[in-house]
Amino acid sequence: MKAVVLDGIVLGLQFGLLGVGMTLVYGLGGVLNLAYGQMAVLAAMVVAVALSGGTPALVAAAAGLLAAAAAGVVIDRTLMLPVYRQRGERRVLLGLLLTLGVAFVIDGLLLWRYPDGALRLAIGGEAVPILGVRMRVGSLWATGVSLAVAALLLALRATTPGRAAHAVIQDEAGARLVGINPAAVRTFIFAASGALAGLVAVTRSMTSPVSVTAGFDFTILALIVAVVGGLGSVAGAFLAGVLLGIVSTVSAFYIGQYITTIVLLAAAALTIVVRPRGLLGR
Amino acid sequence: MLEVSGLSAGYLGENVVEGVDVKVGAGQAVAIIGSNGAGKTTLFRALCGMLPVSAGQVRFDGEDITGRPAHRIARAGLAYVPAERHLFPRMSVHENLALGAFPRRPDPSAVRLVFDLFPRLQERRRQPAGSLSGGEQQMLAVGRALVSRPRLLMLDEPTTGLAPKLATSAYEALRVLKERGVTLLVAEQQVPLALSVADRGYVLENGRIRFEGASQDLARNPEVRRAYLGVA
Amino acid sequence: MTAEPDATVESDAKPLGVSARPPRSLTRAFWPIAVTGAALALAPLWLGDSRYLMRLAVDALAFGAYAIAFNVIFGSTNQLFLCVGALAGVGGYTSAILADRAKLPMAVGLVLATALATVLGGFLSWVAVRRSLDVIFTGIVTLTFSLSFANLLLGQRELTGGETGLVVSAGDGTFLQDRVAAYYLFLGMLVAFLVVFRALQRSHIGWAFRALRDNEVAAELAGVDVARYRVYAGLIGSAMLGITGAVYAHSEAFISPSTFAFGHVDVRVLVMVAFGGLGTLLGPVVGTVVFAVLDEVLVDVGQLRTVVYGLLIIALFLGFKRGAVPAVVDFLRPLARLVRARVGRPS
Repeated sequence: MKAVVLDGIVLGLQFGLLGVGMTLVYGLGGVLNLAYGQMAVLAAMVVAVALSGGTPALVAAAAGLLAAAAAGVVIDRTLMLPVYRQRGERRVLLGLLLTLGVAFVIDGLLLWRYPDGALRLAIGGEAVPILGVRMRVGSLWATGVSLAVAALLLALRATTPGRAAHAVIQDEAGARLVGINPAAVRTFIFAASGALAGLVAVTRSMTSPVSVTAGFDFTILALIVAVVGGLGSVAGAFLAGVLLGIVSTVSAFYIGQYITTIVLLAAAALTIVVRPRGLLGR
Repeated sequence: MLEVSGLSAGYLGENVVEGVDVKVGAGQAVAIIGSNGAGKTTLFRALCGMLPVSAGQVRFDGEDITGRPAHRIARAGLAYVPAERHLFPRMSVHENLALGAFPRRPDPSAVRLVFDLFPRLQERRRQPAGSLSGGEQQMLAVGRALVSRPRLLMLDEPTTGLAPKLATSAYEALRVLKERGVTLLVAEQQVPLALSVADRGYVLENGRIRFEGASQDLARNPEVRRAYLGVA
Repeated sequence: MTAEPDATVESDAKPLGVSARPPRSLTRAFWPIAVTGAALALAPLWLGDSRYLMRLAVDALAFGAYAIAFNVIFGSTNQLFLCVGALAGVGGYTSAILADRAKLPMAVGLVLATALATVLGGFLSWVAVRRSLDVIFTGIVTLTFSLSFANLLLGQRELTGGETGLVVSAGDGTFLQDRVAAYYLFLGMLVAFLVVFRALQRSHIGWAFRALRDNEVAAELAGVDVARYRVYAGLIGSAMLGITGAVYAHSEAFISPSTFAFGHVDVRVLVMVAFGGLGTLLGPVVGTVVFAVLDEVLVDVGQLRTVVYGLLIIALFLGFKRGAVPAVVDFLRPLARLVRARVGRPS
C-alpha cells in the first residue's frame, strides 16, 4: 500500500503541474485550452527527435519545452485575439472551439509525421529505497524535477511577471490601471503553460513512454485537475493533482485501469455539480 | 499639463461626449461637474485609454496620448481612480499599494505618504482588500494611484458610496494632496465638495461642456446654482 | 408581415414582446422537409450498386439524425451536450445486448434502449438545470459522461466486447441487412426527426425555446419555466439519439467503442451543425451532405484529414458564424421578395 501511495505522489505532482498550466490560462484569459495536451506531445516529439539525433538530454529537453512555449506564443498572438475580444461565456466557448481546432491540427500533423512516435527517457540505475519502498530512479527524477518546478512557480509569484499575472487574474481593469499590459501577461502565461505541459510530458516519459497519441489524454487530465482544484486557482490545481494522483494509483492497483479513468472523470463531474468552485477556487 | 481638444467618445458607435475641450495646468485642481449620465465617466475613460476615442486629441505634457492603451498611459504618469475602484480583492492592502508602482518596487516614502494620509489603511495593512469597507476601499484606490507618484491624478466620483462625513474627509485628503503639488482632475456630482478643492471647473451636460471657469465664478453662476446647487 | 423566404430559418433572438409566429399553412411549413426527403430518396439511384457507397450513405444519414438531435438540444436551448455519441452508444449497445444476450425481441430491445438513452439525457439536462450549470460546465459534465461511457465499454469486456467490439446478430436475416432498405429506414427516421423539429418550432415549446435562448432571465419572468423546457429538449434530443444508435447497431451488425466515440461522433456533429447553421431546420442536413462528401474526398489523406478538420473548425468559428443555411437564405431573401411581388401573393 505504501508503495502505491508513494507512486501516487510521484504521479500526483505531475498531475498537479499539468493542471497548473491549464488553470493559469483559464484564470488569466478565460480560455480553456483544449490544445494543451497537444502542446505537451509536441514537446515530447521534439525531445524524442532531438535525442535520436544524438543531442544531449538536457538540450533536447530544453528544445522540447521551447517548442511548446513557442507554440503557445503563436496561438495566443494569433487565434486567441478574436477570442479575447469577446467577453464572458462567449469568450470561453470561442476559445474552446478554436483551441479544439488547433488541437486537431497539431494532432494530425504529429501523427502524420511520426505515426509511431513516442518519447521514452530511460534513466538507468538501481532502485533506491525511500521510506522502505524501492523507487525507480526514473520516478525519483520525475519527483525531483516536479518539486523543483513547483518551488520555482512559488518563487515566481513574487517576481514582476508573477505579480502581474496575479493582478490580471484578480482584476484585469485594475491591472491596466497600474500599468500592467494584460495581453503581454496572457501571452507569457500561455507560453509558460506550454513549457509546463512539455515538462510534464518529459517527466512522465521517465517512468512510462509518452506516445504521440497521448494529446487528448493529457488535455482531459489537465482539465479534470484544474476543475477539481478550482478553475483559476494555482494552489488548487496542485493540491487536486496530488490528491487525484494518489486516488488514481490506488484505484488502478486495487480495481482497474478503466474504472480509474471513470473515477477521475467522475471527480470532475461531481466537483462541478456539488462544489463548482473546486477545492481552493473562489 | 493635460490638454483635451475636441474629444468625442462613446459606445457602440454612438457618441456620449462630443467636442470636449479641457485644460489642466500643472499643480492645478480642476473639477468636471455634471449630473448622472452627463458623460463624466465616459470622458474620463476615454482620457485614460480605457475607451476608444472617436474624435479629438488628448495631450499629456505635450505628448499625444490619444488612443494609447490604458497601461501605457498609466506608466506615463497619469493615474486614474475609477468609481468602481478595481482593486485586487484577494491581495492585502499593502500588496495592492505595492502594485501601484508597477513595474518598479514601491518607493517607501510614497507608501508612507499614503499611510499618513489614510491611517486606517496602515492599520489594515495585511487585510485583503476585498474585506475593507467602502470608504476604506476608496482610500486604498486613491493610495494605490498615489504610490506611482503620478504627475496627474484623475478621480471619477471619489465620493461614490461614501457617507457624507467620509466624503468630506476624502476631499480633505485631496486638499492635502493639492498642497503637496499633485495635479488633480476630479469628476464629481457633489458640486460644493468639488468646487471646495478645485481652482477651476467645467460643467458637463449631455456630453458637452456648457460652462467653464474659476470655481468661484461657477459657484456664483445662477444657472449652475439652479441646476446643481439646488438654489432658486 | 415581412415577406420572408419560407420559414426554414430560426430568426435571431426576438424581443419577448413579439408573439409566436402566426400559424402558417402546413404545406408552407413542411415543404422543405418533403423536398429534402424526396431528393435524398433518389440517392440510391446513383449509389445503389456500390455496397461501400451505400454504407457511407447510411452512415451519413445516421450522422444527420445525430445532428438534428444535437440541434434540438444545443441549438434550441443552449445546452452544450458533448455526449451525442455516448447517448447514441447507450441506445446502440443496450439494444444490441438486450437482443443478443438477453434474447429479447429486437423491437422490445429497441424501445428499452431508446428509453434508457432518453432517461440518461434527461437526467443530464435536469442536473444541469438544477445546479444552474452554465454552458461550459454543462459541456464538461457531459464530456465526462461521454468519456466515462467509453471507458465503461472498454472495461466491461464480457458484456460489451471491449475494444474489439460487438457483433450484433439480432438484425440478421431482416430487411436491415439490405443496404438500400436500411438507407430508406434511416431516411425515414431523418425525415421524422425533421418533422418533429419543425413541429416543435411552431409549437408553444418552440416559442419557449426561442425566449429562453434570447434572454433567460426575461423568459423566466415572462412565465417560461426554463428548467422544464430545457429538460424537454434534453429528453427529445436524447430519444432521437438513442433510437438512432439502436437502429444503427442492428443495421451495421457491428459496433465498437469507436463507433460512438467523442472524437468520432461529437466533433463531427458539432462541425456539421455549425457549418449548416445552428438552430436551423435544414442546417444539419446540409452539413451532413457536405461532410459526407468531404470525408470521402479526404479518405486517402490519412492523418492529414484530422488537420483539415481542425482548420475547418477554426475557419468556421472564426468566420462563418451563422452557418451555411442562414447565409444562403440571406442571399436568397431579396430574390424571394422579388418573386413574391411578381406572383402577387399576399404577404
